[in-house]
Amino acid sequence: MGKLIFAASLALTCLLSTATVAPAEGPGTEDPNNWPQYNRTSNAWRYSPLDQINKDNVNKLSVAWIAQGGDITMGIQETPLAIDGVIYSITSGNRVAALDAKTGQEIWNYQPKLDPLTKKVLFSPYSRGVAVGDGKVFIGTVDGRGIALDQKTGKEIWQVQLTDFANCHGCNFTSPPVVAGDMLTFGSTAGELATQGKIFGVEAKSGKKVWEFNTIKDDPKSWPGTSGKYGGGGAWMPGTYDAETNTVFYGTGNPGKDFINEDRQGDNLYTDSIVALDPKTGNLKWYRQEIKQDVWDYDSAYEVLLFKKDGKDLIVHMNKSGYVFVLDKNDGSIENIWPVSDLKNFVKDIDKRTGELIGRVELPMNQETLICPSTFGGRSWNSGAYNPNTGLWYNNVLDFCGYLKPVAQKDDPKDYGTGHIGASDFGRLVMAPDGRKPGRLDARDPFTGERKWTHEMDVPGFASVLTTGGGLVFNGDPTGILRAFDADTGKVLWSFNTGSGMRSGIISYAVAGEQYILVPSGWGSYAAILLPPLFPQLEKVPAASTLIAFKLPK
Amino acid sequence: MMYKLVLMAIACIFIGDAAYPQEDVPNLKDPKMIAAGHDLFLQKQCSRCHGEDGKGGVNLARRDLDPRGVFQSIADGRMGSGLRMPASRDVLTDEEIWKATAYVMSISQQAK
Repeated sequence: MGKLIFAASLALTCLLSTATVAPAEGPGTEDPNNWPQYNRTSNAWRYSPLDQINKDNVNKLSVAWIAQGGDITMGIQETPLAIDGVIYSITSGNRVAALDAKTGQEIWNYQPKLDPLTKKVLFSPYSRGVAVGDGKVFIGTVDGRGIALDQKTGKEIWQVQLTDFANCHGCNFTSPPVVAGDMLTFGSTAGELATQGKIFGVEAKSGKKVWEFNTIKDDPKSWPGTSGKYGGGGAWMPGTYDAETNTVFYGTGNPGKDFINEDRQGDNLYTDSIVALDPKTGNLKWYRQEIKQDVWDYDSAYEVLLFKKDGKDLIVHMNKSGYVFVLDKNDGSIENIWPVSDLKNFVKDIDKRTGELIGRVELPMNQETLICPSTFGGRSWNSGAYNPNTGLWYNNVLDFCGYLKPVAQKDDPKDYGTGHIGASDFGRLVMAPDGRKPGRLDARDPFTGERKWTHEMDVPGFASVLTTGGGLVFNGDPTGILRAFDADTGKVLWSFNTGSGMRSGIISYAVAGEQYILVPSGWGSYAAILLPPLFPQLEKVPAASTLIAFKLPK
Repeated sequence: MMYKLVLMAIACIFIGDAAYPQEDVPNLKDPKMIAAGHDLFLQKQCSRCHGEDGKGGVNLARRDLDPRGVFQSIADGRMGSGLRMPASRDVLTDEEIWKATAYVMSISQQAK
């Protein structure tokens, strides 16, 4: 008996010594071993409190397993989830798989039969993630459906057609839904489509559609004449669900046609806005428009971060223009506005108190106008990451510009492969006029924008960032190099060539007492098509769809 | 089994030929057709990925292209090297697809 007790004590001691749960507690540290939703926690920080892998040993990281995601079309764009030792992944063609998080071995897979129209539409066949809740795995499909799978078996439980796929210019879902209590919310693509983008509320248990929120406000002051009929908007990235106030926050897409505002001489609500919705009803609690009457394709669809600071509940939210809005979470009132880069000429500035665009640059028809940042934005859609230990928010910054040239275009929601943008392209990309490097990873105070450190790059980053309790920041670049930085100083501590570029989300999880860093690698998306004229080094980057898991050797 | 496979292969070759018989291929060197094709190339935003002059991200000017292959790619879309081109069959008429083909051929390596 004594031996048994001794053995049990020893086992417990070993377990504790290898446990990877960070000792610190507080926002962003809950459920430390898992990555249960798109941005890990409901504050959307992309912070993993795990600290087994840290500054002292990150240079010993080695590959634990590799798994292939299947079809490589448009690369791998997902942020996988990790829950209780299982990885949930979605790759091209909406192929969903559950993998053993220790070995990468596939447990089950599921692939819906997609509408053949998906071959014609603009945004397909990629997906940026799945959602998990209520014993189910939920996906939004590239033909506009919501589907629920059994979390253990991958068997389909329900499906529901949400968008009018054939009649809405192919509006669909390229991101996962948000689990908001017993409801799901799905945001549709729309910014470049001749349609009105919607957010849908669906019962998680049954798949019954309960409500839809139109991101194009029915208001002739906001949308004169018929300009709102194909106003775009939508919400093509996952929102943030705040259980404390039972609110789902979404950033919305740009108005259409992207580069022509002649017929839409209003504010074009609720495009380029944050909308705060009641997930039970879809009722609008408040909104904050960030870019009024946008003509530069500066969607506000990016992640909504939540903070408690000095007794205030705050939102931090960047839109594609590169301006960061710090807002009161309860009513959307402005606390501060700051830019991630001084390379901006679409406005002289944005008023830090009112949010008004000061000195906006309009785009004359049939002429090229140099606009900074480019239509890729001051940052792409890939999320930044906030570390509560350093107080820093880490973001990839894009410092290049584009020439925009609006041309007349007919409205045609059946012209599926042609963007409703009012141009022949998304702009001729050029380097910054002052000759600076085209990208960098920045570490900044999320509330003031004060920069602590920066890491310049010859090719900018297009992947979501991860930061950890081990004092690290992980970032991947389009040429395939994964780097680990010291979160305090920006010093590169480790790098690894993943073999293809990254356009996805790096995560961390722990299983059986070991911390893993999981990296989806597989260059693709419109970035892979549009960037090579500016970055010739990207021409030869091979496509892929690979998950690579790293851990420390035993 | 092998016999069946050979028969199927021959059938495929004939079906392929029947779909685009040589005599149905319009004169792709007609300047009017090339100009109309360039207009379509811009209107339908082929220039989004290929550039206004075909020298964009997916560079056509460097390629040695076959007109039937170009027609097929425009009509049915194309996936390769991880990239994707949407299909335009039924969005564009065959006549329009041939016009766009004429423009693409005019800027391809073969034209030089």
